[in-house]
Amino acid sequence: MNSNYEKILKSARDLRWDIGVDFHEKTMEALYTDATRIADRAVTYPKEKPRFDLDRTIDKLVTSRVWGFPLMILMLTFIFWLTITGANYPSGLLFSLLIDKVHPLLKAGAASIGMPWWLDGVLIDGAYLATAWVVSVMLPPMAIFFPLFTLLEDFGYLPRVAFNLDHIFRKAGAHGKQALSMTMGFGCNAAGVISTRIIDSPRERLIAIITNNFSLCNGRWPTQILIATIFIGTMVPAYLGGLISAISVVAIALLGVLLTFVVSWALSRTILKGEVSTFTLELPPYRPPRILQTLYTSMIDRTLVVLWRAIIFALPAGVVLWISANLMISGVSLAEHLVNILNPFGLLLGLNGVILVAYIVAIPANEIVIPTIMMLTVLVTGGNGIGEGSGVMFELESGLATLNILTQGGWTLLTGVNLMLFSLIHNPCSTTIYTIYKETGSAKWTTIASLLPVVMGFVITFFTAQIWRLIAGW
Amino acid sequence: MIDPLFALLVGIGVMLIAGLVFWPQSGLFWKYQKRRELTEKVLIEDTLKYIFKCERNQKTATLESLAGALSTSQANASEILALTQARGLVDLSENSFSLTDTGKRTATQIVRAHRLWERYLADTTGFDEGDWHQQAERLEHKLSEEEINRLSASLGHPTHDPHGDPIPTQRGEWVSHGGLPLSDLALGTPSRIVHIEDEPEVIYAQIIAEDLHLNMVVEVDETSANRIRFWTDDQEHVLAPIVAANISVVPLPEENQDHQIEGVSLDSLQPGQTGVVTGISSLSRGVERRRLFDLGITPGTPIDVEMVNPGGDPTAYRIRGSVIALRSNQARLIKVNPKN
Amino acid sequence: MDQKINNKQQKGSKVAGVSADCASCPVHHAANLKKLGVDMESWDFVVALAGNPNTGKSTVFNALTGLKQHTGNWPGKTVTRAEGGFEYGDNRYKLVDLPGTYSLLATSLDEEIARDFILFAQPDVTIVVVDASRLERNLNLVLQVLEITNRVVICLNLMDEADRHQMKVDPRRLARDLGVPVVPTVARYDEGLEELLAAIHEVANGETLAKPYQVKYDNPKLDRAVSQLVTQIEDAFPQVPNARWVALRLLDGDERIIKAVVDGELGELTYTRDDLEGASVSHVSNKSGFAQ
Repeated sequence: MNSNYEKILKSARDLRWDIGVDFHEKTMEALYTDATRIADRAVTYPKEKPRFDLDRTIDKLVTSRVWGFPLMILMLTFIFWLTITGANYPSGLLFSLLIDKVHPLLKAGAASIGMPWWLDGVLIDGAYLATAWVVSVMLPPMAIFFPLFTLLEDFGYLPRVAFNLDHIFRKAGAHGKQALSMTMGFGCNAAGVISTRIIDSPRERLIAIITNNFSLCNGRWPTQILIATIFIGTMVPAYLGGLISAISVVAIALLGVLLTFVVSWALSRTILKGEVSTFTLELPPYRPPRILQTLYTSMIDRTLVVLWRAIIFALPAGVVLWISANLMISGVSLAEHLVNILNPFGLLLGLNGVILVAYIVAIPANEIVIPTIMMLTVLVTGGNGIGEGSGVMFELESGLATLNILTQGGWTLLTGVNLMLFSLIHNPCSTTIYTIYKETGSAKWTTIASLLPVVMGFVITFFTAQIWRLIAGW
Repeated sequence: MIDPLFALLVGIGVMLIAGLVFWPQSGLFWKYQKRRELTEKVLIEDTLKYIFKCERNQKTATLESLAGALSTSQANASEILALTQARGLVDLSENSFSLTDTGKRTATQIVRAHRLWERYLADTTGFDEGDWHQQAERLEHKLSEEEINRLSASLGHPTHDPHGDPIPTQRGEWVSHGGLPLSDLALGTPSRIVHIEDEPEVIYAQIIAEDLHLNMVVEVDETSANRIRFWTDDQEHVLAPIVAANISVVPLPEENQDHQIEGVSLDSLQPGQTGVVTGISSLSRGVERRRLFDLGITPGTPIDVEMVNPGGDPTAYRIRGSVIALRSNQARLIKVNPKN
Repeated sequence: MDQKINNKQQKGSKVAGVSADCASCPVHHAANLKKLGVDMESWDFVVALAGNPNTGKSTVFNALTGLKQHTGNWPGKTVTRAEGGFEYGDNRYKLVDLPGTYSLLATSLDEEIARDFILFAQPDVTIVVVDASRLERNLNLVLQVLEITNRVVICLNLMDEADRHQMKVDPRRLARDLGVPVVPTVARYDEGLEELLAAIHEVANGETLAKPYQVKYDNPKLDRAVSQLVTQIEDAFPQVPNARWVALRLLDGDERIIKAVVDGELGELTYTRDDLEGASVSHVSNKSGFAQ
């Protein structure tokens, strides 16, 4: 090392002792003093300040003791309701286009060029159908949810949510900004995990990362929405169906928020012990969102990005599913073998083997849970005439038809409810796991973040099932 | 299908067992882990550290006291001592033992690791003050020299640990805090706390319980054989002399004697009120303190109370044009003069 | 992608300090901007975009590059560094959006990223986006940037917000006090961008002489320590443009700067204030985009 450099550092060290410990403070004080002087010279107030301050009025309302929390929940319900009911029609349209029209065309085309049955199966019944399903089920809700969410975000509402929830997060030993990463997690858990970077303290950041999985991400609403619609929505008159489904999805989302608090609390009392150190949160001024631009950016930035990811994972998953459904081992397909092995355990949890296999297949992307479940159910119950053959992912237009298939497969209301619970509380998808590893750089925390929720999911569904059965007298 | 009642009972049983094994801290699994960590390396390093501390405090280490410090039997202690001698870390003579140069170097590095880790915990994490020492006791054995240097660098090469003990430099240089025990401080001399001894734990716990911290300004107004009464800001404290002796202070220079921060706590203001900052209490430390200054909370800054969380905490303040939410435990440390 | 950036005659008058007749400005190259998005094969100048959180940095970034980086309204939203490009006049520029920070004293990771880029990557121009309605808080960061580099353009954004709060901000006064060009803008509605580009162009090409404001630390002890270190630093690194700032950082025990001293990285920083000698001082307020 250059001796000159060494000398500089040495005198810097010596001088540090001289100038005292409050150096940083004196620096900031001097900076702000000068900043204030310059600002005062440049700014004048030609007019009286207005009496009425819109920002302040909105803030008073959204953080008020009476209205703060009800407004938050109402807004969440409204967004979900709009998403569920609004997505219904375009979903059906896309479905009939991609699956009812294009799929037979492709099949016919393949047959006309004499494609071997297995290649045709892998490509069209596996890869194509899986992708088509994911697109038709995911695109409409995302195209509604993301812009709505982005509008709220651009308006400046999210920091107020963080402000409102901080009281609870503080009691849970977590950081108030965790509310921000939690809400980002409603879009995508991987994005939520990355957004925990806004939390400086490593302890609180780990808590935020581990609990982010309890934010119901977009890959899981299709499951929630479908099951809520066919099991819960059908229990009430049709005109209430949409609202009741939305409310039950919101209830699951709120349960996720509750679990976030509980797990944060438990973590900060045990392996991540400590008190919260610093919390400073800026509440930026409200800015009227630019609606068209928001629609455009949220479409490009979020909807398409997330959809693309889902497609990338759906393609190979479709292939794997088709192969496992058509690969026969002693007369029974590989998929069926797996389902039979896991079935007893699944039933114990109030689920079944099909659901567990679907969750294994869906580790790369939660989006493909429902199509996998449908396909496997048909495969196992051998329901002929419905669906299109072994290993074909499909979806039925009407909720009742879906309900019929599932009931044939031995499903009850309990199975539906537990599937909703398990869909909320299970391991994060592989993208999220990888993101957690990148962000924490630790195999240990990645393992904890991956296994903790799935174990909790087993425990919760298990106890729900046993208590349910006891009460229902099953 | 299994009878649900049976399954429920088995489930509860499994949960109970899992609780017994994995219950944080007291669970069997964690206890087992703790025992496994107490390896030879740890024992040797603890031995070096103990002798090192005795040497620095001009006390003589005996086999008996060593066994006590390691909480093991004398036979075990002498076995470990033999190991250290074999590795050229300790010189063993008739009845006494002293560190070799290598031993001193190793011991210094351990102390450095310990104090840096405490600094780290205090400055950048939210761990409880009472946990710092325990955590550092474990990690001092695990950090490599390179890791220690990196840690020191990332903390800006701190010179003292959160208790005010000097952190030896990479080359093993020490700086002394140069304070005198609080029990010896003359009446009516405003002085700054420069060191708080963290051992023994019983006494340290009493000091923490009084909310006493480094860099606080204290003033003693009564000294007697069984109690010492003193003030920090507007808080009265009474400690036994033996406890007070574990706090070292340095009298403030004449020019700085008005160091006491005037004013009331920011969190005592009501929405709509305004206060002008007079200072930030020395209880606010490290990154937290820096952040408050970076946000523009410097003496003379007016702060308006904007709104309160529905649950009562945090509160949002308007500071230099921005609305910023602070929790009450932070706002408490900011002193202001209320304005009407 | 070549598109007109705005229609000044109609919108310009909304911005305080920019009068509608700016067409007579010497540097008025309307429609001279070519947004290049992420397509940046080669560039002549690197421009950094710094600023407090929530000042509309991302909006300025999008307006200049034509990219659609997401602009949420919560602090800390930009967690990664975004890059894009644009072409203006005869030059191609690479624009780097830094995380929003209150300060550059490297207390958090964000601040470190922003600081390191301004210091070590030596952008040809650093734009500091400033919220006109919260000037004093934002100027704190400006002053810190000015301690590091003098190739600065202040983008006085959110002028509409300031209007809404009945504030009148005088950009010329600011420019004079800070010693660097100050351009009022409303980036959300593409107002004032033309002037901003002109100012960037001038600073990048060395046509503007900056006399950046120096913070006064009212502390004789500190001054002594600083000047002692500055002498040593200038001896060891004659090229270093901001010895005073380096000295202050060393006194604060800033590890990144200590490391830069140790491995001589500091010696590779070469811009000196002399580079810009020759341009006349009057450029500062004249050419920064507003009419006299």
